[in-house]
Amino acid sequence: MNMIDNQRAKEATGHAVAARVGIGGPVGSGKTALIEALIPVLHARGVDLAVVTNDLVTKEDAERLRRSGLIDPQRVAAVEAGACPHTVIREDPTLNIAAGDELEARFPGVELILFESGGDNLASTFSLDLVDWWIFVIDVAGGDDIPRKKGPGTLRCDLLVINKQDLAPHVGVDLPRMLEEARSVRAQRPVILTDARRGDGVGDVADQIMKAVLFR
Amino acid sequence: MLLVNRVLGHRLDDGFAEQLHHLEHHGEVEWLLLPAAELARRRFRAVTSRGAEVAVALPRDEPLTDGAVLLFEPNRAIVVKVDAERWLRITPHDLATALELGYHVGNLHWRVRFAAGSIDVALEGPEEAYLARLASLGLDSRVEAHAHPADEAPC
Repeated sequence: MNMIDNQRAKEATGHAVAARVGIGGPVGSGKTALIEALIPVLHARGVDLAVVTNDLVTKEDAERLRRSGLIDPQRVAAVEAGACPHTVIREDPTLNIAAGDELEARFPGVELILFESGGDNLASTFSLDLVDWWIFVIDVAGGDDIPRKKGPGTLRCDLLVINKQDLAPHVGVDLPRMLEEARSVRAQRPVILTDARRGDGVGDVADQIMKAVLFR
Repeated sequence: MLLVNRVLGHRLDDGFAEQLHHLEHHGEVEWLLLPAAELARRRFRAVTSRGAEVAVALPRDEPLTDGAVLLFEPNRAIVVKVDAERWLRITPHDLATALELGYHVGNLHWRVRFAAGSIDVALEGPEEAYLARLASLGLDSRVEAHAHPADEAPC
């Protein structure tokens, strides 16, 4: 493959070239846990990355990641939405774009920036002005009827992650049926089951990111 | 897989138009067909009209448009062709339905344009999914809805 080097491309063009991936989903579905699980997997694959988190009026998720020891705290930027989280990832993503640009300026070799949305509802989607590709995270404890509700987040994302698969038997969820319905409403576009806390399925999510926007 | 990291120009530019016309006559122009709603992506994979896999990774401020030339060689060119955006024109039967429709369309964050007496919703998925949503809201019997391409939609 005729592959470019990120740093050389940036020097040649003077513009940002890192891939940008969004991770959205309802409150408590496991977005931060998924990022915590993805970071070591992506690092092990040699991916130079940074993270932008979004919270309503705090920097809670950013502080959690900075304290995690998983990533250089300087590589985690926080955006305070101050309003419904989708407003800063879709209607006006300026704050997030600026946060991404600043991370790329401070870390010239960065090739992937993960943007974590604040917890939102099933209508939440990312602007493609902000990200190249995006993941929507739901969880089994939120109810196995979520795919059937056909929320825009569930339908339009590039990858749907159904997290906390280990909880299915404890919350009365028919996991195979939930997975089948999710694939059906998404016209067979990718759906991955995960248990982010134990790392199950996280490698598959990393595979999808690598293939879709890092081309390897 | 071919990696494209910049737009070389537009197919109508002086430097390309004549030579692309020549290449096209020899079947040496490959088209990269993209949906209008996907143009904002800066990094993506796609397959050309001749089956070649392309990885696009553009600078964030590099616009991708219909007619963008991505590869230009003596015997081969790759040019972007944008699939016309489709819209669902919804016409409510009465004012009360129009108010209700407007509420739901806003709540669903559908992208819209306004027409006289109608609202046009950008189809970012199958038309059937939008019609099903209207039906689930009890609106299907109180509106007329049909899809049409972008060039018929008002700005």
